[in-house]
Amino acid sequence: MKILVIEDDRATADYIARGLAEEGHATEVARTGKDGLFLAMSESFDVIVTDRMLPPPDGLAIVRTLRASAISTPVLMLTALGDVERRVEGLDAGADDYLGKPFAFSELHARLRALARRPAGAENAESELVVGGLRMNLLRRTVTLAGVAIELLPTEWRLLEYMMRHPGEVLTRTMLLERVWDFAFDPTTNVVDVHVSRLRRKLEGPDGPALIRTVRGAGYVLDVRPG
Amino acid sequence: MFAPADTGMRWLNSFALRMAVAVAGSALLLSLVGAGWGWLRADTALRQELDLVLAGEAEGLIRDYEALGPGVLLEAARASARREALLLVLVQTADGQALAGSITGAPASLRGFVTLRSPGRPSLRALGAMLPGGVNLVVAASLSAAEDAARALAWTPLVAAIGAGGVALLLAFFAARALERRLASVSGMSAEVAQGDLSRRLPVTGRGDEFDRLVVTVNFMLDRLQALVLAQRQVTDDIAHDLRGPLQRLRQMLEAAERGGGRVDLPAAIAELDAVLDTFAALLRIARAEAGPGAGLGAGLGAGEGARAEFDLSAMVRAVADAYAPVAEEAGRGFGLDVAPGVMFRGDLALLQRIMGNLLDNALTHGAGDISVVLAAGPVLTVADAGPGVAAAERDLVLRRFGRLDRSRSTPGTGLGLALVKAAAEAHGGRVVLGPWLADGRGLAVRVELFRNTS
Repeated sequence: MKILVIEDDRATADYIARGLAEEGHATEVARTGKDGLFLAMSESFDVIVTDRMLPPPDGLAIVRTLRASAISTPVLMLTALGDVERRVEGLDAGADDYLGKPFAFSELHARLRALARRPAGAENAESELVVGGLRMNLLRRTVTLAGVAIELLPTEWRLLEYMMRHPGEVLTRTMLLERVWDFAFDPTTNVVDVHVSRLRRKLEGPDGPALIRTVRGAGYVLDVRPG
Repeated sequence: MFAPADTGMRWLNSFALRMAVAVAGSALLLSLVGAGWGWLRADTALRQELDLVLAGEAEGLIRDYEALGPGVLLEAARASARREALLLVLVQTADGQALAGSITGAPASLRGFVTLRSPGRPSLRALGAMLPGGVNLVVAASLSAAEDAARALAWTPLVAAIGAGGVALLLAFFAARALERRLASVSGMSAEVAQGDLSRRLPVTGRGDEFDRLVVTVNFMLDRLQALVLAQRQVTDDIAHDLRGPLQRLRQMLEAAERGGGRVDLPAAIAELDAVLDTFAALLRIARAEAGPGAGLGAGLGAGEGARAEFDLSAMVRAVADAYAPVAEEAGRGFGLDVAPGVMFRGDLALLQRIMGNLLDNALTHGAGDISVVLAAGPVLTVADAGPGVAAAERDLVLRRFGRLDRSRSTPGTGLGLALVKAAAEAHGGRVVLGPWLADGRGLAVRVELFRNTS
């Protein structure tokens, strides 16, 4: 992936750039909003990471400018003020995701991958999701695994749907809480783990093949495997 | 607080005194205008009166002349001259020669009314008439009496105004003194508060006047200020206490690694740091909730308008309960849910979601036995568990920041969860009540009462 990082704090910018390079991504770093906006407008990137608070123009202004110029590159906004209203503000401005500082690199990486893979505007167009032997019919609301129907509770359905929209990607607990439950907080109890393990039991049975893989310290991956 | 060097300046700076001077001055000015107008009116009226008298006298004389002949006229003129009467009579020939009597300055063949002025003598008002037989009659009277009367009348309001002005000045002087004294107590007290003694309060006189109302308002403001400052101080102490621990341990780890050249236990170090960051985030959230909606903490930290939209509280409670129910079941705990349908609420959805999560986390981590979630109209959200509960004496403690019971010290958490619940409830005009859940006094029920904002 080709990633643009707009961040005025040198240490944070280096940390992100080095981490992304280690993951095999090509990274450009801009240290001011002006440089960042120029790069974003003149080159093509798979995804843009921008700090919210920058020497003007700030992150919000950059996103608004990009969207006004019909550049739809996914944007992830970083901020020291990781609270909900800020998040809403960032998303309203046209950012696609929002991450509060400080963050774990694995969280940032997982979100960037999810963003870069997101097909623009395609989410509602499909009527069926297929991952390996798993088929989810969105119209009839049925799930089958290798042709066998599986009964899911509404929460399990939403969880599986989100995972099937992002197969093979690491989905962190925070991402799942935000997208599946619409929670803007991290419970101290293992809410996500319990739901994932229940879904897993329904999908995999006592001795079926593992479909949902746990990534230690990061989250979960729905494995893509022809079944 | 004003404290100019010399007292002369101080008096000029007194609002009451300036007011008094203004009142006295305008009273005097108005009286002057009134007096002038009164004098003018009186003078005119008296002159008209005099003219009537002259006309009456002239008519009498003319009637006598017609009935009795010129002798009467001459006699009357001579008599008035002899007596130096107030009313002067002059009889002239048609060409102006005086036949009897004398009026200084009277012109020949005077007809009608005229005012005669001659230097050194009082002005005269004269009426002339030509009689049949070539005789000219002039009747006159001094104007000085009328002028004196008008002047006397005009003086009355003027004297009254001077008196009123003096009294106003005197009253204002005393009012200013009293005002000065009461303001001095406010100024002095404010100075002491400004120097940091927040316990000072203004004395209330009990008269219930506007001063007392002001004093009550200022005292209320000081109460709030003192409470806030005390809370702030408490928070500072708490933060110092709770953050120093993990930071100290982190420092020791790094120092040991540096000294021994050994390895840092990186996961442990990151865990310590994460605990510090969690605590910071929780403190920030509490501070923001306490500041209330829209109040903000410095630039850009205020909750936006979007945080105050109306939403379906019943649906929110059901969704959060839905997420936690499997966790309780996996832990072998019963989970009861009773939600009144269609409870709408105007407030911060994300914050309420979070505090409900906090309560369930608490019930799962610190509580025991069955868990119950009830949303009643009101709206009142109750999260209860059948665990050991919290003793009545400790209920205030657990609602405080970092307030943790000794038995919970070893369990995870920042000790800020319930403090946020309390701050959030109060930010929504409600309150938090802790009590036992079960009839036999066991268990803990946390009632979050959100009275306001319903619709």
